[in-house]
Amino acid sequence: MLKIEKLTAAVGGTQILKGLDLTIGEGEVHAVMGPNGSGKSTLAHALAGRDGYQIGGTITFDGANLLDMVPEERAVAGLFMGFQYPVEIPGVNNMYFLRTALNSVRKARGESEIGARDFLDLARQAMDLVDMKQDFLNRAVNAGFSGGEKKRNEILQMAIMQPRLAVLDETDSGLDIDALQIVASGINSLRSADRSMLVITHYQRLLDYVKPDFVHVLVDGRIVESGDHTLAGHLEDHGYAGFLHHDPSLAGQPT
Amino acid sequence: MTVATDDTGQALGDKRAPGAVVYPTRKDEGWRYAPHQDLRRLVFGPPPSEIAEIPAELEARIPDVGGPVIVVVNGRVDRSRSDLDRLPAGLHIRSLADVLDDPPDAVATHLQSAGAGPVDAFEALGRIHGRDGAYIHLEENANLDQPIQLVDISIPARASDATCTGVVVHLSDGSEATMVETHLGAGTSFGGSTTRTSVTMGARSSLTHLVLQDAPAEQIQLSRIEVVQMGESEYRGRSFNLGASYGRIDYQVRLIEEEATADLSGLYFGSGNQTLDQQVNIIHHAGNCTSRQRFRGVLDGQSTGVFSGGIAVSPGANGTDAEQTNHNLLLSTRAEVNSQPRLEILADEVACAHGATVGQLDEDALYYLRSRGVPADEARSLLIAGFADQTVDEVEIENLRTWVIARLGHGHA
Repeated sequence: MLKIEKLTAAVGGTQILKGLDLTIGEGEVHAVMGPNGSGKSTLAHALAGRDGYQIGGTITFDGANLLDMVPEERAVAGLFMGFQYPVEIPGVNNMYFLRTALNSVRKARGESEIGARDFLDLARQAMDLVDMKQDFLNRAVNAGFSGGEKKRNEILQMAIMQPRLAVLDETDSGLDIDALQIVASGINSLRSADRSMLVITHYQRLLDYVKPDFVHVLVDGRIVESGDHTLAGHLEDHGYAGFLHHDPSLAGQPT
Repeated sequence: MTVATDDTGQALGDKRAPGAVVYPTRKDEGWRYAPHQDLRRLVFGPPPSEIAEIPAELEARIPDVGGPVIVVVNGRVDRSRSDLDRLPAGLHIRSLADVLDDPPDAVATHLQSAGAGPVDAFEALGRIHGRDGAYIHLEENANLDQPIQLVDISIPARASDATCTGVVVHLSDGSEATMVETHLGAGTSFGGSTTRTSVTMGARSSLTHLVLQDAPAEQIQLSRIEVVQMGESEYRGRSFNLGASYGRIDYQVRLIEEEATADLSGLYFGSGNQTLDQQVNIIHHAGNCTSRQRFRGVLDGQSTGVFSGGIAVSPGANGTDAEQTNHNLLLSTRAEVNSQPRLEILADEVACAHGATVGQLDEDALYYLRSRGVPADEARSLLIAGFADQTVDEVEIENLRTWVIARLGHGHA
């Protein structure tokens, strides 16, 4: 459902992604792990369509050319990105924001808009997934939220948007163990045969709860190693040091 | 208003004498960004003898807040539209013209020349021509459950016509009210209006005073609000400076007995070539008073916003607690804002804080909203609304919130 080929991304004159290939199948959960500065967040933003990158290569999403789309069109196409740093938007009510987002997507797909009452029912179910109280909806989007609350709000949005592909950018960063378990169980409950996920992380700990089908190692803008979930444990034990001067031609070879 | 020189730099000489009337100039701190040429084109006079017809589309824009209404058209009370009798117990509303022969103290004070220095021309013109308007009196401990609405309408009969409205509000000890002052207009002629509102607040009285300024783009609208507060009184000012080519809201608040509170918030929202000017002066004469100023500006096109916020603490006014914030959102590279805190603190044991910001729409927030499927133009409106709503949300009257939100051009509540 997602095919990334020879993806390059630069900011200013600095090349960050240097020819990244990755294919994700229907319902699969892939983890991309890598050290700081390897290009993990750039990969997430290249998928979500952030301005300011010079992008090369191709990304095909459900048969369509993702790179031709602006961010809101990518959301309409079924892509969701969970932000590493969810943005605080003072003055914009969380519930209003969520309903506007859902209805924007529905409208663009030619579906009917959802009314306030039906939306509240939907939101309540989604809130249960991430153990949120009703007052979350009445606060301004992420404004004054703790780190854990922000990440739970991301998963809440994912539950409401019901994406085809969720890209979760360091969703585990800044979480204590309790929040991590809540977020992980929210993610797990949203796993399904028609939803794929790309979980981007620095550490293995999230992958202890959200067990990926495939793990890829991203170093210096390329995938240098791919394997099953045991690769994450290997990285935890040995770190990234062994990959830092890895020959990229070996990417995709069995470990 | 002290003016040392006129526009040409010439000394004013005897014009500085007490009672001399001087036009403010660019060199006057409080009038630095005003359109002086346009101001001097205004021709002030007494109200026309006939009440001008109010076009239906203007009538439809008068917010419906319930409660007694007094309508002033071109400086004269429109008795057919005003509720001057059958008022709730404890409330008296008279046309200002009706009480001039035997003025109550508050009206007499309103009409007296202020201070020993030269007089700002607009204030002087207001005293001369602003002989009609409203005198509103609340008896001791009166507590109104519906707001009083003053609708001030300007429809210049000829180009450059300008009129003056006087409003005197006297809250006796322990009384409580909400007043909505709405400035609207019609017509395509250049013209103007000034309103001077004097509020006298007895001990423990409470007033929520909303000012909506949405005059036509051809007009100039000058509002001056003078508040005098006795002990433990609470004044809440909420201003929305939205219309006019030059819209000015000038607060002079004096806290003259202990434990009084003045809480002002306001929004100015400009586009085109508008200049929206807020001049705020809060003077802590007595100790242990609290004042707050929270003003927000949104400026698009080539508009200019001005916030000049003064906090003065008199000698001996210990225990003063004063705060001021001013946040501005610039939507265009040609829009500008001039934000100036003015603090003059002559007492010890004072807590005074101020802060101002000027920014553009947050690109990260736009991207965040768009990544959730919200189209770019809607995401932009949502962020502007979110910024402005932080002031709108302070309005407790739902119909007025809806009115302001509709005027700002975003449709959610």
